[in-house]
Amino acid sequence: MIPALSCENLTVGYVRQPVLRDLTFQVAEGERVALLGPNGAGKSTLLRALTGLQPPWSGRVRLFGADVRRLPAAARARLLAVVPQELRAPAALTVEDLAFLGRTAPLAPWRAPDEADRRIVERALVYTDMNELRDRPLDALSGGERQRAVIAMALAQEPRVIVMDEPTTHLDLNHALEILQLVERLNREQRVTVLMTSHDLNLAAEFCHRLLLLDHGRLAADGARDVVLREDILREVYHCDIRVRRDPQSGSLLVLPARRLADPRTGRNRRVHVVAGGGCAGELLRRLSLAGFRVSCGVLNRQDTDARAAEALGLDVVLEKPFSPIGADALARAAALAAEAEAVLVCEVPFGPGNLVNLELAEQAVRRGARVLIHDRNLELRDYTPGRQALARIRRLLAGGARPWHQISQAMNALG
Amino acid sequence: MKRRIVWILLGLAPLLLGGALFIGAGEVGWADWGTPLGRAILSLRAGRVAAGFLVGAALACAGVMLQALLRNPLAEPYVLGISGGASLGAALAILAGAAGTFRLPASAFLGGALALALVYGLASRSGAPALYALLLSGVIVGAVCSSLLMVLLSLAPVAGQHGITWWMLGNLQVMSWPLLGGCAVLIAASFAGLWLRARDWNALTLGSDMAWHLGVRTRLAMMFGLGLAALMTAAAVALAGLIGFVGLIVPHALRALTGPDHRRLLPAAALGGGLFLVLCDALGRALGAPGEIPVGVITALTGGPFFLALLRRRPRGGWLE
Repeated sequence: MIPALSCENLTVGYVRQPVLRDLTFQVAEGERVALLGPNGAGKSTLLRALTGLQPPWSGRVRLFGADVRRLPAAARARLLAVVPQELRAPAALTVEDLAFLGRTAPLAPWRAPDEADRRIVERALVYTDMNELRDRPLDALSGGERQRAVIAMALAQEPRVIVMDEPTTHLDLNHALEILQLVERLNREQRVTVLMTSHDLNLAAEFCHRLLLLDHGRLAADGARDVVLREDILREVYHCDIRVRRDPQSGSLLVLPARRLADPRTGRNRRVHVVAGGGCAGELLRRLSLAGFRVSCGVLNRQDTDARAAEALGLDVVLEKPFSPIGADALARAAALAAEAEAVLVCEVPFGPGNLVNLELAEQAVRRGARVLIHDRNLELRDYTPGRQALARIRRLLAGGARPWHQISQAMNALG
Repeated sequence: MKRRIVWILLGLAPLLLGGALFIGAGEVGWADWGTPLGRAILSLRAGRVAAGFLVGAALACAGVMLQALLRNPLAEPYVLGISGGASLGAALAILAGAAGTFRLPASAFLGGALALALVYGLASRSGAPALYALLLSGVIVGAVCSSLLMVLLSLAPVAGQHGITWWMLGNLQVMSWPLLGGCAVLIAASFAGLWLRARDWNALTLGSDMAWHLGVRTRLAMMFGLGLAALMTAAAVALAGLIGFVGLIVPHALRALTGPDHRRLLPAAALGGGLFLVLCDALGRALGAPGEIPVGVITALTGGPFFLALLRRRPRGGWLE
């Protein structure tokens, strides 16, 4: 059995960027296949390659065994019809005109459509339930009717394969269902092979035998809905938390997007203390509190940019009067907060005699075995203490179990 | 109604063309066939009517093709710089003293085709040309061509200046019968070629990707269509110089009447454009007697309001969405 469509080691790209990488799969005649994947996965490019519009860099696409790029245009159009995502047509074109355009390839330029052509167009219009609207201009149609008219044109080609690009994107639910039922009927009764892209995993799973999941130009999964619609696979491809449930009544699979992966659960109820200052910690504080950590911060000078950021985020902040060194009172309050935190983070703070005592918070944490993360870049440059005391104390901390960091993602990962 | 437009126009054609023979620069009436003077007048008038019909038909067909292939309601030989390129080519030929039967249209065609290729290349960095890029580069190429024409004109010897100026004004007076015959053959052959592939143009109005899916060899068809449109424009420019507006108004008017099917639209546009220009020319002579109002002025003055009325009446008719 020759497959209706087959991709053999297909690599396709634009300019210098490959979009599809070494893709191989086959679609047998009579299958109903949905092509899924996030935006930018390569679905549209794959459709362009399958229909012969986009020349491959390497590999080939075969349509019933023949290289689709080598097939004569008219022969290709008799095998494969395309329903584009959006058809831009002259406004005054009628439904019937459009359906007759499906006969472009079979008709020689000097031949008028004969009885057989008329019958084929007639059947396409009846099949798509557009017979009554045949004299309507396209711009007087609703979205669903317009889509049916385009399908009628595709049917008038009498193709063996129909490729549809997001056939239901612009439609509301009942019209989307109507279109998909029409496609299902076509496939069942006329044995037309259907390949469609879709963003709606649920509808695709409902109407297609087989799902192809594309991710970054490769096949992430290929098979029946139970094989492809799995939480772990979808999570990997769509980069968000996804739950798959089975509908108790129909037994069909339901894909439900949940919250973002980087959600507050990561840091829930975990306390972190941040030693900041000089405006170096704004982004870290924001990220930590977004991730759900309970963040405390201090001791900070009241006029420090970080103090304002921390207050804006509603964190527990210990403040000291402007232009004065950190006093014992403020330090004690900060130490109390730090003692409850499971980790102390020291940011890229410039240290001077006034805020050097903040390092005591880190030293206490190391002594009690809590996790300590210290920003280790530009240490010499930001040590303004006489005799480089800050540098020495930080080296001792790092030797004593504190871990270095210099990127926010490192710090976040270290916190786990 | 849609289907009958072509037949109606075909029926009107002999009446209008014959009628136009009655109108001359000096007087309105049938020139006496019996006298040598009468025969001369009749032959002048006949040449003028024939040239008007050919030029109008060519410009209208070129407009239809450009609007369909570039999917742009504003596309027109003038706007896309084809006319400018063709006139530059023709002026070069006149200056080089090669204003022969085939050399003038040939160099006009070369100029027009080069201008079209330049505009197309400038506008499409990757794949299909963008609408605004196409119009902008068309206007720019057209402007450059016309300033080059001015340069030529200012540097040319007096005799050449006269020739170019006379020709540039846009005039349907036949320069030579062989030129008229040559252009007639070119225009008729181009029209036949375009009409034969009407189904391809229909498919291409859905965009070149969709036409590809429908089985059209899009690249070939595109080149064929644009090339013949440039050829027709060049022949028109070689015959009559620069006459604007016909390529824009007539296609829109007839598309609104016949619908977007090119098997009907192309013959309708050819007939309609030809008759329109002959009428405009006759009007210019009748109103301007004993002199004449340039035919380009008449096309703009009569066509503009007609076009606007059409747009107001059927805002969604034809091509404009």
